[in-house]
Amino acid sequence: MLSYIGRRVMLAIFTVWAISILSFAIIQLPPGDFVTSYIAQMASMGSVVTDEEAQNLRIQYGLGQPIYVQYWKWMKQIAEGNFGMSMEWRRPVTEVIGERLSLTVVVAVSALLLTWLLALPIGIYSAVRQYSIGDYVATFVGFIGLAVPNFLLALVLLYFGFTLFNAHIGGLFSPELQDAPWSLERVWDLLKHLPIPALILGLAGTAQQIRIMRANLLDELRKPYVVTARSKGLSEPRVILKYPVRMALNPFASTIGYTLPYIVSGSIIVSLVLGLPTVGPLLLKALISQDMFLAGTIVLLLGVMTVIGTLLSDILLVWIDPRIRLEDT
Amino acid sequence: MQTRTLRSKLTIALAVGALTCVVAAGAIAQNAGKSLIGKLEGPEVVSDAAKLPKAFKEAPQLAELVRAGKLPPVAERIGQDPLVIKPVHEIGKYGGTWRGGFTGPADFWNGYRCCSGPDHLLFWDYAGDKVTPNIAKGYEMQDGGRTLVLQLRRGMKWSDGQPFTADDFVFWFEDIYRNKDLVPTPSATMAINGKQGVIEKVDTYTVKFKFPEPYYMLPDVLAGSTDLAGQAWRGAYGLGSYAPAHYLKQFHPKYVAQAELDKKAKDAKFDSWVRMFFNRSDWSLNPDLPVLTPWKTVTPSNTPTWTLERNPYSVFVDTAGNQLPYIDRVVLTLAENLEVINLRAIAGEYDFQARHLDLAKVPVFIENQQRGGYKLYLDPGDYGGDMIIKFNLSYEADPEIAKWMNTTDFRRALALGIDRDQINETFWLGTGTPSSVVPADGNKYNPGPEYRKMWATLDLKKANEMLDKVGLAKKDAEGYRLRTDGKGRLRIEIMTLGGQFLQFTQIAEMIREQWKKIGIDLVVQEVDRSLAIQRTIANEQQLAAWNNDGSEHLFTFPTHVFPFDVLAVVASSGPLYAKWFQSAGAQGKEPPARMKELMAKFRRAYGVPEKERIQLGKDVWKIAAEEVYIIGVIGMGPASMGVRVVKTNMGNIPSRQYNSPDGKTPTISRPVTFYWKK
Repeated sequence: MLSYIGRRVMLAIFTVWAISILSFAIIQLPPGDFVTSYIAQMASMGSVVTDEEAQNLRIQYGLGQPIYVQYWKWMKQIAEGNFGMSMEWRRPVTEVIGERLSLTVVVAVSALLLTWLLALPIGIYSAVRQYSIGDYVATFVGFIGLAVPNFLLALVLLYFGFTLFNAHIGGLFSPELQDAPWSLERVWDLLKHLPIPALILGLAGTAQQIRIMRANLLDELRKPYVVTARSKGLSEPRVILKYPVRMALNPFASTIGYTLPYIVSGSIIVSLVLGLPTVGPLLLKALISQDMFLAGTIVLLLGVMTVIGTLLSDILLVWIDPRIRLEDT
Repeated sequence: MQTRTLRSKLTIALAVGALTCVVAAGAIAQNAGKSLIGKLEGPEVVSDAAKLPKAFKEAPQLAELVRAGKLPPVAERIGQDPLVIKPVHEIGKYGGTWRGGFTGPADFWNGYRCCSGPDHLLFWDYAGDKVTPNIAKGYEMQDGGRTLVLQLRRGMKWSDGQPFTADDFVFWFEDIYRNKDLVPTPSATMAINGKQGVIEKVDTYTVKFKFPEPYYMLPDVLAGSTDLAGQAWRGAYGLGSYAPAHYLKQFHPKYVAQAELDKKAKDAKFDSWVRMFFNRSDWSLNPDLPVLTPWKTVTPSNTPTWTLERNPYSVFVDTAGNQLPYIDRVVLTLAENLEVINLRAIAGEYDFQARHLDLAKVPVFIENQQRGGYKLYLDPGDYGGDMIIKFNLSYEADPEIAKWMNTTDFRRALALGIDRDQINETFWLGTGTPSSVVPADGNKYNPGPEYRKMWATLDLKKANEMLDKVGLAKKDAEGYRLRTDGKGRLRIEIMTLGGQFLQFTQIAEMIREQWKKIGIDLVVQEVDRSLAIQRTIANEQQLAAWNNDGSEHLFTFPTHVFPFDVLAVVASSGPLYAKWFQSAGAQGKEPPARMKELMAKFRRAYGVPEKERIQLGKDVWKIAAEEVYIIGVIGMGPASMGVRVVKTNMGNIPSRQYNSPDGKTPTISRPVTFYWKK
């Protein structure tokens, strides 16, 4: 087991390095550089950057150098724990991301919890009571949840929140508490703002998980060992929860690899529409404005999280499902 | 690629959002637009010594600090020569917060336009027409236009209480502007006919700008949005014409050992001392920076809230002697999505907001006026094009297209093929004016009323005749005109940008339908901003849709009038011609005679007195309108930052304001005089 994990970790490090090259290359792909998009941005806001200024900026940011030199400089900085300066925010990248990371995690984790809290029971119910009215209702709602783009839902909820409930538009805090230090009042304010984003973000995932849980459980329920368990006189909840549900949980565990990066960036559009101060919109803006170091660091972070997530789900699978064998143990 | 897909998704999201709002509002205000445009009015700068206030009053919290001995008395803080402003309606009251929204650190204009005063040495009257004193008390042209003498205000202070004197100009000129690390390429605005000028100190409160040749335009340059236009606007780039010497010296290698400075920069995580210097002299980023603006940054623009608070040493004063501003704080909250900004404005969460508000949502704004406690105003610009179409006159990639774009009658025919009324009703709710490129009738450079509609009406018959006549008579089965080189249909591409103040792509689609009637096949291409710039620099674009905002100040904002600079914000009407113009004929491509005539007149105007300049300006517009280098579509409209939502209990709000980049609107209405009635 240990050597298995060790090997996985080595591979993970190599993958992360490959990701760093890839992410840096991807950021260089669109035409132009930060200075061109800076000029464009200024232009769209009604101001003009002269040719001389543009030239000066390129020199200052070192954008004239070949890509591998820029990459090398970036890597060297990272080794020193310095992820560089965000060109757009003109602050250290770590500061810009750090500020938003905790809120992102709060939003995403609450969405995830909501997803599981809803999806698991409903999925189990749907499978056990297949083709009952309850199953049909859950299926219907589930498919709608899958089909409606969640940004649209976000817009609609925002509009009704405003017209019917006079809710504050977007964001995670009321304006008065935006910059206030953490206090009970601010936490309460956050909790008040949380349900809408959590609901919207969780909904599509919920629908999907319900379907997965239902399908897996249906497969398991028909297997002979369930019949055997029943014939031995086990109580119904115990029959279902102890074995088939445990088996049906496998896909949940194996999706953790994707869930971790999703926590950081999976909600870009919704966050943007809802005006949430999370990492998603930051990444989008950084990519649009070609803010190399910021975008590079976020993409790298996502890569690292995917790798860690995959590692975790591998280990988790082994733990949940004893049937999975490791080649060298 | 990820960016692209995300953005297209986003576009859909925003389009859907816009749709929901419009549908929800129903057909309330199909044509209520025009009635929302009020009378142009605004505050005035008082220079008459007899009318100046004798005693000063101040905000209660400042009075408190004075009593506690933490601040000198108000008269000492303001100095002997206050900048007196007569509010547009009445004397106001102190107190309160002004809430607005901004989109992030790149949205510098947002806080700059509300809160900078401005800190220009000179500025405009409220009509954006005449140059008035501002930070400088007065100015005088001497030596046949070669020297501009500026009088500063005696006893005026920086926001930290240090005196503001001629030394701050000398420091800027000698140590910042002439430092090659800070400013590697000197500014074109500090030169006339390519020859650089100098700044000299005469005495503590007098400075001289000296040039080798007459530079009569200089006062306009100091008043406009140029490199010499003050610290708030240009300090972050080492420009601005003055700088707080006493503060910035600690970041400058002339006054601090290089090694020590480098260490300082490294400790603060800056790549170099230059980056640190620019950060420290950035009005929107550095709360410690001494400033002259009436409000100063407290929490910088790269945090979720950009907050500004009153400057206790503000030199702005009303006619009753109250130190301005009236409003204590300005709080701009971050909203990274324009839909969120619009929705918040509709919900009444902003007190005064014009930036980023969408003309298409005017019906929704009107519907929610009562509920949100605000009033909607429209501020049409004085420029001739809320939307224009630029021909790339120096295009070379396809010789056939290049030939037609350089044929005057071809350009005129295309201009006659646009149904501007339909476009105006659909996209401007009828609030714009179908127009050629020339500025509003009241503008001093307007060449005359006959130029408004010149080649700017719908005349399909004439357009078709002209196109037949120039040699494009042959058509294919679908009625589109054929190329003369036998390569099929004459297809012309127009480049548009999404996510702007106006939906250029949708309007271009409408023009595409309209041009079918004159047999022209227009291909609409929405491109990413960076790509647009790349194409312009590579001289690859054919037509481009944009606006000519700012062009009513012909000489300080000429970029959308003729090929003045290579980039011209996003698309030039002739990058190679612009290069030729900028390099005085050394590079690029020589333009045709008529354009050369325009360029010569333009250049000459900088060195001649105003009267002569006005005539030259009119001539420039005449040529531009006659030759149709750029097609004017809809002008004098409010699409660009002209949709304004203001709380009903805010005072001294003009019913219409001059809307322009040069006016830094609403700064032209002097937000220092805005106040809360209750």
